[in-house]
Amino acid sequence: MSSHRLFRFPKPAWLTSANTRTFGVYTAGALFSLGFYLLIDIAVWSKSARNPSDPAVHITFVDWIPGICSALGMLVINSIDKSRLSADSFSYSGNGVAWKARLVLFLGFALLAGGLAGAVVVLVLKYVVTEYTWPTVWMGVGNVVANALIMLSSAVLWVAQNMEDEYTYNLAL
Amino acid sequence: MAGIKTIIGLSFVLAIGFLLVILSAALFHSYLTLLVVATYVVAPLPNWICGRAANPDDFMESSGSGIIDLGRFLTGFFVVMGIALPTLLWHSAQIASGAAAMSVVGGLLIYGTIISFTMFFQEEQEF
Repeated sequence: MSSHRLFRFPKPAWLTSANTRTFGVYTAGALFSLGFYLLIDIAVWSKSARNPSDPAVHITFVDWIPGICSALGMLVINSIDKSRLSADSFSYSGNGVAWKARLVLFLGFALLAGGLAGAVVVLVLKYVVTEYTWPTVWMGVGNVVANALIMLSSAVLWVAQNMEDEYTYNLAL
Repeated sequence: MAGIKTIIGLSFVLAIGFLLVILSAALFHSYLTLLVVATYVVAPLPNWICGRAANPDDFMESSGSGIIDLGRFLTGFFVVMGIALPTLLWHSAQIASGAAAMSVVGGLLIYGTIISFTMFFQEEQEF
């Protein structure tokens, strides 16, 4: 493994250990929880007495769409078996498994990026262009931060699962 | 290892945790903070259930680790939920800031007790 290395510095040993993988999965859950409760927070805050907007500005279904897209994208990405991505190079798994996996993965990443972009769109079109002041703009800013957190959680989970593959590969050898 | 002392200490910490959470609910006449107790009682369950469902010794079939990862993911989700829920309620003026702080600290004490009690028992089972 180490003979055909590309970079000058070797990968640190703790990166492939099982403990780092476990920690990564826990971190992914924590980040997703933060994002999810940020979404709930803007919805609850919108109906609470703290919302000073007059005429009242509330969360509508439009504000929920980016979060739903992000969560769906995360579900799609992380339910793919990562080892299927390079499956076509082996002879025993034909029928274009890798092609299908890449297509579904592309859909997942598109959903995830679309969620983040949609949150920015909602922030700009619903809150910035209409020139609302700070406490009202929180409903848009919180949406963007929540979607970014879900994206980050998905990335952490992805990296952690790839770590696991190398770990089991080393064990199997 | 002094088993009796550990059990007594853990039960004291658990009682203090429950005291803080119940006080945070009763003092401010808003019983929403009791949700924190439910959260932290549910938090260790996914790991236990998914640990039973998976077969970690099977190296050829890697499908087992997915279930374990799901359990860990849910555990992380619930632990942060115990902190996020009182903060959310405080931010929306449902509970006072004192109640939020007390329920977060009490919830962390309860969860810490559950986790250390589990570790203590697992050490016992190895013999």
